[in-house]
Amino acid sequence: MEEIEIINLWKAYDQKLSENLSFSKENAIEITKLKAQSLLSSMKPTKIFTILVGIIWVSFVNWLILTFYNVANPFFLISAAIQSLLSMLAIGAYIYQYILIQQIDVSEPIVKTQEKIATLKSSTLWVTRSLFLQLPVWTTFYWNKSMLENGNLFLLIFQGIITTVTIFAAIWLFLNIKYENKDKKWFKILFSGKEWDPLMASMEMLEQIKEYK
Amino acid sequence: MSIQDKNNLFLAVIERHKGILYKVANSYCKGDEDRKDLIQEIVFQLWKSFEKYDETHQYSTWIYRIALNVAISFYRKESTRTKILNPLSEGIFNLSDSPSFDEKESNLTTLQQFIAELKDLDKALMLLYLEEKSYKEMAEIMGLSESNVATKIARIKLKLKEKFSQLKNY
Repeated sequence: MEEIEIINLWKAYDQKLSENLSFSKENAIEITKLKAQSLLSSMKPTKIFTILVGIIWVSFVNWLILTFYNVANPFFLISAAIQSLLSMLAIGAYIYQYILIQQIDVSEPIVKTQEKIATLKSSTLWVTRSLFLQLPVWTTFYWNKSMLENGNLFLLIFQGIITTVTIFAAIWLFLNIKYENKDKKWFKILFSGKEWDPLMASMEMLEQIKEYK
Repeated sequence: MSIQDKNNLFLAVIERHKGILYKVANSYCKGDEDRKDLIQEIVFQLWKSFEKYDETHQYSTWIYRIALNVAISFYRKESTRTKILNPLSEGIFNLSDSPSFDEKESNLTTLQQFIAELKDLDKALMLLYLEEKSYKEMAEIMGLSESNVATKIARIKLKLKEKFSQLKNY
């Protein structure tokens, strides 16, 4: 099929559309009466739920730290503080990223706008990386002096191995969860599932943008 | 300009460019419901941006930018804004009768299939090409240089030609 034939085909389609497409003024007027939504109402309920659970969890951990500061063992306090700090950073970054996406001007050129949106969405990776960093503290918060001094040697060695493995895993994941590794098998397994679709789609978009530059 | 005048102008602009909105939505959405939602979302975003409309650009350039940006983002299923909008029982645009193209129909289906298979940015460019936009206008809408637009269009056209010649051989 020649180029001119394709263009003519599209023109014929356009012509048919303009003949058959009716415009509902009433419905369009309804749209003009709608107000811009608040940030909260534009979010999916699952996202709001996740953020709320995160805030409740961080508040609870902070309350434990403050209430038992004088009596709790240092392993618990340090582990809980690291966990709380990383969670607060992740929640803050997530909300900030969402606000920035909502503020993007869609009347700007397509490649520029899509690059902004995709870069922001793919920054979810940073949040995930920081959350993996807390992995080791889940294996240390219950440590205490008596356990270390009088504990069963076999259990202590086992505990040591678990903590060391989680430290290495956390650091390795923190360093390797990045856009450049998106085609690796482990990355695809880690980020498989519907909830990661927008992230993977954003990375696909960044790839397209790269081809356009 | 009074509020009433502004509303009337906006509605007139939308009506005049209804074909663009329908074609963009049709290229990025498969189902009727999704298409209806996407058109509502695009019209809502156009209305939100209407005050900031820069008269140095043509209406069609402004509409293409917003429609394509919303369609690409909407397509990626991150947004739920449309679902929160008041559900309108009928769409803003209604196709009274499915356009019939007789012998041209299969070619049009092939062309639409080809567009549907393209990546989001290529799809945007292909739509602009089919609308016979100049390279300058395409570059303005996409935010690319004219030479870049020309290269990309040439590549897409080549793919399209291959697609049709493959079909011819079957």
